[in-house]
Amino acid sequence: MAIVLVGVNLLFERVFYFMFGWWGKGLEVDLGSGEITVKQLPREILEMYLGGRGLGVKLLWDYLPAGIDPLSPQNVLIFAAGPLTGTRTPAAGRHAVVAKSPLTGTIFDGNAGGYWGTALKKAGYDYICFKGRAASPVFLMVRGERVSLENADFLWGKNTGQTMKLLGDRFSAESKGTFKYRFSCIGRAGEKGVAFASIMSDSGNVCGRGGLGAVMGSKNLKAIVVGGGKRVPIADDDVFARYRRDILRLLVASPVSSKGLSSFGTPVLVNLINYMRLLPTNNFRSVYFPEADEISGEKIRDNFERKKKACYGCPIACKARAGEMEIPEYETLALLGPACNNSSLESIMEINTLCNDYGLDTITTGATLACYAEILGKNLQREEMLELIRQVGENEGAGAQLAGGSAFLAAKRGKPEAAMQVKKLELPGYDPRGALGMALGYATSNRGGCHLRAYMIGPEIFGKPKLLNRLTLADKAGLLPVFQNFFAAMDSLVVCKFVTFGAGEEELAAILGSVTGVYYSAQDLLRIGERIWNLERLFNQREGFSAGDDTLPERFFQDSADGYAGGIDRDEFLRALREYYFYRGWTEEGIPSAEKLAQLEIEV
Amino acid sequence: MWREIDRFGRKLVQYGLAHSHFGNISVRTGDGLLITRSGSMLDEIDENMVVHCHLYKEDCFDTIASSETIVHRRIYRQTSALAIIHVHSPYAVALSLLNGEDYLVPRDTESKYFLHRIPLVTGGVGSAELAENLAEALSQHKAAIVRGHGTFAAGKILEEAYVNTCSVEHACKVHYLCTVSAF
Repeated sequence: MAIVLVGVNLLFERVFYFMFGWWGKGLEVDLGSGEITVKQLPREILEMYLGGRGLGVKLLWDYLPAGIDPLSPQNVLIFAAGPLTGTRTPAAGRHAVVAKSPLTGTIFDGNAGGYWGTALKKAGYDYICFKGRAASPVFLMVRGERVSLENADFLWGKNTGQTMKLLGDRFSAESKGTFKYRFSCIGRAGEKGVAFASIMSDSGNVCGRGGLGAVMGSKNLKAIVVGGGKRVPIADDDVFARYRRDILRLLVASPVSSKGLSSFGTPVLVNLINYMRLLPTNNFRSVYFPEADEISGEKIRDNFERKKKACYGCPIACKARAGEMEIPEYETLALLGPACNNSSLESIMEINTLCNDYGLDTITTGATLACYAEILGKNLQREEMLELIRQVGENEGAGAQLAGGSAFLAAKRGKPEAAMQVKKLELPGYDPRGALGMALGYATSNRGGCHLRAYMIGPEIFGKPKLLNRLTLADKAGLLPVFQNFFAAMDSLVVCKFVTFGAGEEELAAILGSVTGVYYSAQDLLRIGERIWNLERLFNQREGFSAGDDTLPERFFQDSADGYAGGIDRDEFLRALREYYFYRGWTEEGIPSAEKLAQLEIEV
Repeated sequence: MWREIDRFGRKLVQYGLAHSHFGNISVRTGDGLLITRSGSMLDEIDENMVVHCHLYKEDCFDTIASSETIVHRRIYRQTSALAIIHVHSPYAVALSLLNGEDYLVPRDTESKYFLHRIPLVTGGVGSAELAENLAEALSQHKAAIVRGHGTFAAGKILEEAYVNTCSVEHACKVHYLCTVSAF
């Protein structure tokens, strides 16, 4: 096993290359040759793309040729922190992972909380980029400036729980004080190439969607261990402290962050979304689940002793455990529960634990099971679901068809209409018929059916920053790009979306400036987000995606659901889509115009 | 009931006692309270802009209810109030910043008769500390002012809470004008 030590932190580097917030360098790991190099990043790239998602998208665009198989060695897998990661900015302990997705074929980024991203920054790097494929299983070991590829035979074949334990046993003795090793790994689903395999960071922090875990597995990369003791340099500590206090105060004043999420976690949404007739039930054939209360945040509070968990620097602490089990997130509850006609909280918790152990995205797992149940014309029982998930995780038996996701399964079974997906990414826990900004957001998302790209749940459900009428498309086409751009920037800082229930782009631009020493206005932040969004769009076009992919499953245009007679008006939707392209500065075919690209300083 | 909330919401905005989407209104409903949603405007209330929350425990509707729901809940549990109005009325806010005492003593006769003294309390927006301080103050007074923030007024019906809100603002306006003219 080749072990390569990378260069020391040279004095001239600090003198001539000093930055605040960023280190200005990343690790590039060629798994085929075992070569590890430290790459210096030009300051202008960091200032234009920030980090996290933005940096990953830029690197992927530069490195990846068109048309490659996402599970081939040619794919590139990038883990990236942002300029705020590792500082005490509220809820900024996140990192992004970017690659071409084996599930969707689009560019794809996910991000996860916990402590791994902070550890990467404390080790002195902004990103790690993996290319090629190792001849045998390896894990990357980052001890500050000492970086090596290690033999992972003892981890291969293990699920995430066991992998974390083995890594913990091996490295916990070396963790001292603020120097702690943090782990990211895949389970067997990632090893077996399941198209929606996830990546687990620390314990219970999942980079869930899009099959990025399968990309990791295809490279024979089992885990990444990072540890470091550096302090992320901040340009002005006093100003930073002031802006941090401003954001904390806003989070306390917001009932979403300080009450709902803090008290219940995301399961608080179950009863609320059901009340609003948005809860995907019976594979999106209904929007109301009569037994929702059985799996609600209130039920969990009343029946379990919740032990709250917080990601690095987060005052909200929305995650929780009950004994040895993670409390499922809302999306997991919605897709493994009502979408599958399942009202057993215990079974959802059991399935969630199994999915996390195998390293499976619980949204796609639930949606694919719901699709399968519709195709079979029956409800799946607890034991059936558990057995199917084991088979999916192993990519064998009946599970092999499900392992490609719902679009693949439904096509194979000759019932494509049963797959509730956009660009092959399964829809999350909000029926688009009852939130039309969200509907347009799903359709235009660069990574497929995702609620997090525009996060219209803020204005359409919670009234943040301002309550919008969720039952109309009017004015949404103009607003949607703003939200998409904003969250592209948020994913690049990398800050949790829940911060936006209190703070807006003004506060985040201000704190970014105090950390980096580079002045950013709120408009600058949105412009960066717009640059990232357009580059993602270009990537997808290069892969063959077009305006025809910006749509929703037919069900939502045809079927009535409680209170939504006749579904979404197709003409109105198409009109809003055309308006959306106009507001984006794109052609009628949804292609970014040359003027727009020049304005965003994107060179093609 | 949302129509009553709408009626008084419009009056509050019309007379300059509330602005933009600040301020909130609630009514006690047995073991619950009907309260305006976070982000709603008091002169644009409809049935979708109010939400029903439990009086004795948080539930999912706290997530979309006014950020001050914790305060309303505590007041209902600790006092005989059946309706509460909170606004950021300007003279009350200004005077609370100019006055360092724990109470404001009105100067005009009517306010002296009906309000006696107006407590000035502290606490962050939507905080447990504010809830406790206001519940304590409103267990003995019709209304109180949160320093630098605004008024909370209680009543048996919304009209009474509205009258108390107006009375506090009037008392503060007179007090302020007297103070200014003394220079």
